[in-house]
Amino acid sequence: MLKKDLILKSPVSRTIGIENIKDGRFGAVISRAGVGKTSFLVQIALTQLLMNEKVLHVSLVEPIEKINLRYNDGYTNLIDSIGYVDPQKALRLWEDIYPNKVGISYNESTFDTEKIKDYLKSFKKADLAMPSIIIMDGLNFDKDVSGSLEKLDQLSREFSVFIWFSIKSHREEKLCDDGYPIQLETYKDKFDKAVFLNPVEDKIEAVILKDGARTDKAFRLDSATMMAIEE
Amino acid sequence: MIRDLKRVRNIGISAHIDSGKTTLTERILFYTARIHKINEVRGKDGVGATMDSMELERERGITIASAATYCEWDKHNINIIDTPGHVDFTVEVERSLRVLDGVILVLCSVSGVQSQSITVDQQMKRYQVPCIAFVNKCDRSGANPAKVCAQLRDKLGHNSVLMQLPIGLEDRHEGIIDLVTMKAMYFEGENGERPVVKDIPDPMKDEAKAAREKMIDAVSLFSEALTDAILEEKEITTDLVMEAVRTGTISRQMTPVFLGSAYKNKAVQPLLDAVVSYLPSPLDIENQAIDMDNNEEAVILESSFDKPTVALAFKLEDGQYGQLTYIRVYQGCINKGDTLVNSRDGRKFKAGRLIRMHSNQMEDVEAVPAGHIGAMFGIECASGDTFVSPQINYTLLSMHIMEPVISLSIVPKDNKAQINMSKALNRFTKEDPTFKTYVDHETGDTIIQGMGELHLEVYVERMKREYGAEVVTGQPRVAYRETITQKALFNYTHKKQTGGAGQYGRVSGFIEPCDEDFLFVNKVTGGRIPTNYIPACEHGFKACMEKGPKLEFPVTGIKVTLEDGAYHAVDSSDMAFKAAARGGFLEAYAKAKPVIKEPIMKVVIETPNEFQGSCMGLINQRRGIIQGSQEEGVMSVVESQVPLSEMFGFSTILRSATQGKAQFTMEFSAYKQVPQSVAEEIVKKKLEEKSKK
Repeated sequence: MLKKDLILKSPVSRTIGIENIKDGRFGAVISRAGVGKTSFLVQIALTQLLMNEKVLHVSLVEPIEKINLRYNDGYTNLIDSIGYVDPQKALRLWEDIYPNKVGISYNESTFDTEKIKDYLKSFKKADLAMPSIIIMDGLNFDKDVSGSLEKLDQLSREFSVFIWFSIKSHREEKLCDDGYPIQLETYKDKFDKAVFLNPVEDKIEAVILKDGARTDKAFRLDSATMMAIEE
Repeated sequence: MIRDLKRVRNIGISAHIDSGKTTLTERILFYTARIHKINEVRGKDGVGATMDSMELERERGITIASAATYCEWDKHNINIIDTPGHVDFTVEVERSLRVLDGVILVLCSVSGVQSQSITVDQQMKRYQVPCIAFVNKCDRSGANPAKVCAQLRDKLGHNSVLMQLPIGLEDRHEGIIDLVTMKAMYFEGENGERPVVKDIPDPMKDEAKAAREKMIDAVSLFSEALTDAILEEKEITTDLVMEAVRTGTISRQMTPVFLGSAYKNKAVQPLLDAVVSYLPSPLDIENQAIDMDNNEEAVILESSFDKPTVALAFKLEDGQYGQLTYIRVYQGCINKGDTLVNSRDGRKFKAGRLIRMHSNQMEDVEAVPAGHIGAMFGIECASGDTFVSPQINYTLLSMHIMEPVISLSIVPKDNKAQINMSKALNRFTKEDPTFKTYVDHETGDTIIQGMGELHLEVYVERMKREYGAEVVTGQPRVAYRETITQKALFNYTHKKQTGGAGQYGRVSGFIEPCDEDFLFVNKVTGGRIPTNYIPACEHGFKACMEKGPKLEFPVTGIKVTLEDGAYHAVDSSDMAFKAAARGGFLEAYAKAKPVIKEPIMKVVIETPNEFQGSCMGLINQRRGIIQGSQEEGVMSVVESQVPLSEMFGFSTILRSATQGKAQFTMEFSAYKQVPQSVAEEIVKKKLEEKSKK
């Protein structure tokens, strides 16, 4: 019951749609630094965990302690958003779903997709359920990432896993004609979904840039908790 | 022994495996003239380091037992306890920390803060032991003391402050710059025994100045005089800085970081200076005991020689002249011939031969005064016992001891081995509270229990080497537990009234899960069960906890509430109510959805980056849960929780999967419910075993 409530309340259900999270291969959450890309990605991961799926969170920018902290905070925000919940119940659910998340922190300079591949292979070898999504946080789209994307694309096909990326845009850069940030423009065909987080006053506007037929739909999120604001 | 306690230091050297703590101890003993030749841990001379006194330790290059030794430096008496680095022997580390006033935390300048350092650090926090850090192996390729200092801050939360700068690193490591005196130190002579103080080399002057400013800024928090001197731009004297560092260190608010290379004989002497200058004397530390005659009130012990004696037996060893008991005296003084009482059992004894240990060589002394560490011969006691003067009844706080998680059956090869084995087991159980032994009444096998595979393996080896007891070991077994998951009622009548003395008792109530091992609540009113039979009921329930009805594993986490019952004026007895309780327990237990719990271990693997994926794979294959993985330079750390039953033989598997380049540590984390599929396997195995019997 609690699981269902949390999934319904998740900003991800409100914006992208829960059934939609892993429909395709690549998704992107784009914003300039400090707006909340990673927090939004964590919310995506949390919905998967609540649906009893496994999640692999790869970060090239944050240590493992920070990643874990983000999941704790994300879960707390989600719990707080539905009013009073028995703390024991909330804790039990957390203990139940949290082990399905694996966080890996790599050095950006030495990162190689082969490392993830080795790890995913071990799931197959041990006949275990695969992670349903990979969160790929910190890949630098200001550089040429076509090689990495190519390899990750193969990985996504081989292991049937959806990969969500964070893409950092810059305040001073103008959007392209089709409304996409320049970092995404080059690779837009590769992505099935894209959400742009734009700070507006003290809120965050989540604009769905790409999601099948749905485009340019905007939702408002609380900037502190990333929870959807009821309109 | 020095009676001025200001000049006494009781210190330990704690670290991760292979950080070089035994090598460091060896150098300390050499420079303080306790030994005249340096033996390396895995040296070609085959002698082994002086502190690794057990044959087995020498062979494995690890330190198992804490050998105590003392030395003198700058007119100070330093008692050193060399502590083991492997997690399986943590009880040794814990016991050492209990009696120490300060610790040198040795860290490898390449690997930095490793998992074991984190465990040791938690223990230091538990016992509030101040520490200084020594970043060793600065001569190794990849050495980076600044990074290690930052890790101390980030990973362990220490307020770490670099007190020295290295002059060159890796193969160009020549010496250090002392940021307090602003002098460079080099170490000359065949074994670095001649420290030479020189001016700071020109190219490093600016760096040293900046580092000193940073250091002074950090330590000024602990001294108003120093802060004033800075604000008023007065001269900042060496004494002022040292006093501030000492205050910060003793209050555990800062950790001064020193560096060097014990193996290359660099900067060990300044570390000894730091021990004397910054680590506390017994007078700086407050120790408490419990007064058993006064409602178990806490009493603060004074390091005074005239007060009644209070001492702790923190380690036992079987020496050639009988049992050797290591003691730390907290108050008073133990003189030869003094009468003391073991406060655990109230037994009186006379202090016979008193000695001071230097690894495995001993030196006779007349007395061991407060604040010192010594050893006694011929005392029958267990580790952790408190010895006091007859006029008081104090006991020192009990030490945090964990329950064993693994067991192994052992069968002696012949009759002679049988006798020696029992001697050995008797000794080991006294020495090590986490090592337990019992005889399985059903199989007749002797079972040993401990904290990990290696823990038991070492004892089996010691039995063979030290006692000549050859034993055949069985498969290691995991200490499973049973528990219930829901509330269930019982209402049971025990009735035997068919001739002879009758038996009658009825108990009614419920059992439910709880966090304690066992709780019994009596809510019987109106004398439905007379109060004199209530303890029998409790005993009856408690007895059922020893062997679970489901699979005969010990039962934990049950609260029994007794609400009602009935008795018979003639036929009721303690025995009848015990039997009724047993019947009630069995009745309710079956309804309370019992489950099996297994020990889950925290496993931390440190591996070169290229094997990270395969290491995580190994954990996955073992029902493990990976909590996270972090790349740190060329190494990766994989943290996980794995059931102990899946960890047998893991070291071999890890070695072959990583070309021997990865290492792991394992410690008990918690008991968790076994998944259904595995539980079925366990049930099947247990039934097979039963049918074989």
